[in-house]
Amino acid sequence: MHQPPPASCSRSSCCVCARVGVRVSALAPAAAPCPAPSRSLGPRPPEPPSRGTSTLPLAPLGPWCSPTGSPAPLSCETGCGEGSWILVCRLLVPTQVSLLSMEEDIDTRKINNSFLRDHSYATEADIISTVEFNHTGELLATGDKGGRVVIFQREQESKNQVHRRGEYNVYSTFQSHEPEFDYLKSLEIEEKINKIRWLPQQNAAYFLLSTNDKTVKLWKVSERDKRPEGYNLKDEEGRLRDPATITTLRVPVLRPMDLMVEATPRRVFANAHTYHINSISVNSDYETYMSADDLRINLWNFEITNQSFNIVDIKPANMEELTEVITAAEFHPHHCNTFVYSSSKGTIRLCDMRASALCDRHTKFFEEPEDPSNRSFFSEIISSISDVKFSHSGRYIMTRDYLTVKVWDLNMENRPIETYQVHDYLRSKLCSLYENDCIFDKFECVWNGSDSVIMTGSYNNFFRMFDRNTKRDVTLEASRENSKPRAILKPRKVCVGGKRRKDEISVDSLDFSKKILHTAWHPSENIIAVAATNNLYIFQDKVN
Amino acid sequence: MEVQKEAQRIMTLSVWKMYHSRMQRGGLRLHRSLQLSLIMRSARELYLSAKVEALDLEASSPPAACPDPRLHPPREAEVPAASAPPDGEPPSPEPMDTQEEEEEAPPRAAETLARYSPRPTRVSRKRRSSSLSDGVDAGLVPSKKARLEEQDGAEDASSEVPDRLMPPPAQAEGAFPNLARVLQRSFSGLLSRGPVAAPTAPPARDAKPACRPADPMLSVLVRAVVAF
Repeated sequence: MHQPPPASCSRSSCCVCARVGVRVSALAPAAAPCPAPSRSLGPRPPEPPSRGTSTLPLAPLGPWCSPTGSPAPLSCETGCGEGSWILVCRLLVPTQVSLLSMEEDIDTRKINNSFLRDHSYATEADIISTVEFNHTGELLATGDKGGRVVIFQREQESKNQVHRRGEYNVYSTFQSHEPEFDYLKSLEIEEKINKIRWLPQQNAAYFLLSTNDKTVKLWKVSERDKRPEGYNLKDEEGRLRDPATITTLRVPVLRPMDLMVEATPRRVFANAHTYHINSISVNSDYETYMSADDLRINLWNFEITNQSFNIVDIKPANMEELTEVITAAEFHPHHCNTFVYSSSKGTIRLCDMRASALCDRHTKFFEEPEDPSNRSFFSEIISSISDVKFSHSGRYIMTRDYLTVKVWDLNMENRPIETYQVHDYLRSKLCSLYENDCIFDKFECVWNGSDSVIMTGSYNNFFRMFDRNTKRDVTLEASRENSKPRAILKPRKVCVGGKRRKDEISVDSLDFSKKILHTAWHPSENIIAVAATNNLYIFQDKVN
Repeated sequence: MEVQKEAQRIMTLSVWKMYHSRMQRGGLRLHRSLQLSLIMRSARELYLSAKVEALDLEASSPPAACPDPRLHPPREAEVPAASAPPDGEPPSPEPMDTQEEEEEAPPRAAETLARYSPRPTRVSRKRRSSSLSDGVDAGLVPSKKARLEEQDGAEDASSEVPDRLMPPPAQAEGAFPNLARVLQRSFSGLLSRGPVAAPTAPPARDAKPACRPADPMLSVLVRAVVAF
């Protein structure tokens, strides 16, 4: 009889939990590593610099914006253009429904057993809503719409199976948030996990923050592999012994047991946000973090749950004069006093908490003047920034709006230093995208470990990588057709008009229900995690 | 004409989305509502500018004054139709009256919408025309037909379209059919009254910059959004 996986999930029998619900594409048992491929990726058509790549001005860049020149401390520095990406594993987040229904009748079982059928029967609660590597890259956390957090751990390198390294398996699963009801406003609070952020590891346990629309929780994920045995007052089953029978005294001894991973909520930070939380960010001092909703940003101390400081408040006195909302916020990776937040008007503000307690006056204001030739009916809403990320160096910020990714230098506020078109072919289709609500999709963007490559998602399960140094870019697809283990991803291309080549896909046949909103890049290696609806794909640079 | 139709379609779509967003789990999303209201405003401007162009092509020298009297009778005719849905359902918003959250309480916004007033204080909820004598501007009588073209600027009579949308959704889900009828009436009415309504509007509208933070139109649309 299968139960849904409890908060503590036995590791060795976690494989039970894992195997039931999670389908990890097994690697081919061949001992030999992947043979070096012939360049079967197909000829890469030379792309004119004006399309799909950076729109840097022709003048040479000044010293304030030289892209990272130092060799990256990566295991392989290939960027995105030269290397090729292979699928490491595709993970299906375990559905509780499938585990419960093992004993049900055939029809329901067919529908619910996601490990027998594919994601076409998965429930909406399994849709992954956030993906995040921890600071070492050993763990990968995903949150879904059902309020669950699933943590994957990287397979350790072993002498026998060299090629298995890089595969991620389920480490822990727990229900982070439950649906709640706000009785005062008659509103249901969704349990969907909006963001997960890891804390740097300071002891044997792992800590992460997870948030839904209203509440942030600090979870402690710890392993237990020893059990005390030999109590005086309790017998082996835990029952109290009759005191009359106790004649000796002994000290309990710790004996090894099956590894158990348990997750416990250590702090709950609630009731501080009127609007929906869209971002959380851990400060570099590791003592505070901030949570941002549409109009306010609060600063918390990890130890104090009943108070938070409001550091940004853009709510107008008269709500009728509301013109912009906060869409994302992040702390500087090194300066604990600096943070940025982006707005729905396409602007970014950098604030210094030393300046005043309430950072309503920004220190820097980043805005690009609008290109009048691109002005259209939907200009205002596609300029809304959906994600902002500091580079690992702390020198640049990257913003994602609906059609582009922009890289800004913190020292220059009047325009970005690089602009990359993600899917400019959609510019003429904005009206239909408005009708099917796709124009409101919030895509995220990520840096690689060395800040030389940026990645973001698109539609039809495409995701794009842009190499800032070589100015090359690639479009890849996270699809089940490429789901063979170690399958090499073929670069994809969208045909914008005119003649369609053989393996190109036309704009009209893009599937807008398959969108990649959440991606993550390993902090030091070329391993990426791509969330496509309820599937999590992990790709690795082949050179690895 | 195509542009007008397209703009009207987008306006209708936006309103539908606004209403629908109230029904979804998690409550009203402020960012989404703001974006929808921006689209509504752009569609409205597009619609009106297209109408102005159409008029410029037709009429040589349209007199400014005479369309207005012609305007009022059709407006009055719409009054009973418009006020029928609101009048039918005053009791049910009463319990919601106690909510103080101005961002999210539909009845509060409905009430705010009923009398466009810069004062944040709340006065009588009744939207009878008699109680509007203390209202700021006569042009904002909500039970009157939507007049998107005239009396822009400070009064912002274009609140009436959202006004008429407010009463039905403020009540309950069952009001949605009413909303659709109201929308259909208002927008088809707009189209039919197009030629007579434009003259006074364009100068006032053109004088207004497109994106002003205190843009009354946007504020009205935001209120419409808030009400939703």
